[in-house]
Order: sequence, then structure tokens, then C-alpha cells
Amino acid sequence: MIGKTRIILINSVLIVVLIIVYIAVTLLNKPHINISEKVPNHSIEATQVLQDFQSNETQANSKYLDQILQVTGTISDLDMTNEKGVISLSADDSFGSILCHLDAKEITKTKTLKLGQSITIKGMCTGYLMDVILVKCVIVN
Amino acid sequence: MKSLYIILSLLLFSTVVSHAQEKFLTKQGSVSFFSSAPVEDIKADNNQVLSIINTSNGTIAIAILMKSFMFEKSLMQEHFNENYVESDKYPKATFKGEVLNFDTLNQIEQEVTITGNITIHGVTKTLKTLAKISKTTDVISIQGSFTVKVADFNIEIPSLVVNNIAETIEVRFALDHKPYKK
Repeated sequence: MIGKTRIILINSVLIVVLIIVYIAVTLLNKPHINISEKVPNHSIEATQVLQDFQSNETQANSKYLDQILQVTGTISDLDMTNEKGVISLSADDSFGSILCHLDAKEITKTKTLKLGQSITIKGMCTGYLMDVILVKCVIVN
Repeated sequence: MKSLYIILSLLLFSTVVSHAQEKFLTKQGSVSFFSSAPVEDIKADNNQVLSIINTSNGTIAIAILMKSFMFEKSLMQEHFNENYVESDKYPKATFKGEVLNFDTLNQIEQEVTITGNITIHGVTKTLKTLAKISKTTDVISIQGSFTVKVADFNIEIPSLVVNNIAETIEVRFALDHKPYKK
């Protein structure tokens, strides 16, 4: 009888330890967010995002940083150097643009894009320098 | 006839000179940092670095978004932004300085000194480093590396992870500036 309870005890301790190890490993190797599967926090026009950052950067930072934005705008520049794709979305008259750094998997889709075309891009906002910067972008439409 | 040609070419030359680009810029410069500690090596890349050079006097201004540093593991990235550099509070790192002997640069890569002030985590320090620079009419490329001490920028590393994060971090940069057209 004592042997049986001891075996059960050892087994349950083992199971608990395994569960803890499993949780720790999954937490440590938590994957990067997959933008294409995420629902955007803000669906917005390029002009609006730019305006928000240009009028009050601190406020715009707290609103947009680390958020997934789905931005619609006109392509003003395409840069496909070094295997990295960068699409600039500009507002009609204002200075500055939205710089969308594409996810590596999206590069094949960029061949058909043209300047002046309207496009919707989803990406994570990391902040504002001369332009609003979105990373890990995927082309929505 | 000959003098006409001379006058014409002089005119042409002067217009070229007056339209010479004063500013060179890149919005896609790369800056990476490396931490080599007993337990693990950590590396992060940022390919959205903004850098502007004023070619009339050799001054350089660089701005970096902390949240644009991409790590191998998302948990590292989270800790970096939330606990160490506090990027919600201090979203940018900047460098303002000067490339010494800027006038002597040409298309052949040379090693020159850059001095200036670097600001990370709200703390400003002077920085002097060597960089390899080449300059043509189409591109000014700068690359090099320097080290920073984490403690110099008031970044505290908890004793629990002291073996995971190096006290001195190596920073590498590669910036290819293009003429700035408005």
C-alpha cells in the first residue's frame, strides 16, 4: 500500500514538473506576432496617421505605438533593394509619408505594384522619425 | 566661337554647382547591437534608421526608433522595450555629431573620426568613434562599430539576468546616404 501511494506521489510530482518546464519553454520561445492573422487595432487613412503624428507626436505615440494599423494610401515610392521591400504611402500635399517595411514573405507580391496606385497595408507601428514607420507589413489590398 | 563655348560651359558649370546636393540622407540605415554574455548571445537589428549628413560642413544627425529593434526571440524584444530602454517613455535614440576632415573624403574608403553626442534612454554622452567612409556624388556610405556601457545610460540589469546580458554592448552601423531630393 505504501509503495502504491509513493508511486502515485512520484508520478504526480513528475507531471507537475513536466508541465512547469513545458510552460517555461513555451513562454521563453513565445513566437513573434503574426501580423497577417491579427485584426488591426486601427483601420485608417494614411493622411490621418501622418496628421496625428505631425500635430502631436507624444499623443500619437501613445495611440499608435505597438499597435497594428491598417493604412490606406497612395504609393509614392517603391524601394526593393537588398531583398527588403519598402513602400512609401504619401498624403497628397504634406511633407512626410508612411514608410511600410514589408515582411520578407510579401516581396513577391510587390512586382505588380505601381506608383500612384491606391493600396491597403497592415503593419505594426514603431514610431515617427521623418516618416511614420510600420514594420512587418503585409499587403491587404 | 571658342569664347562662347567657354562662357556656355562656365554657365553650365555654375548651375551645376549651385544645384549641388547639400544634404544626403537615408531612411533605411541599419544599426545592430550585440551582447555577449556567459549564458547567451543577444543580437538585435534595426533597418529603419534615419541619418542625415550636411555635406557643406560634415555634420551628421541620426535618429533611431527603439521599437524598431528586432530580436530573435519576442520575449527578449518585450523585455528590452519594457524593462531596459523603456521605449514608451524614450521612443528614440539619437546621435548628433560631426565627421572630422569631411572635405578630404572621396570614393576611396577611408577611416575617419566621428565625434558627437549620443542619447539613449534619456541620457546623453559624448561619443568618439572611427568609421569607414566613402563619398561619391551618388552615395555617402558610412560603416563602423563602437561599444557602449549599459550602466552609462542608466539602464539597470536585474541581478537575476546579470549572466544573460553583457555590461558592454557592441553597436554596428551601416548607413548608405543618397542625395536628398525634395
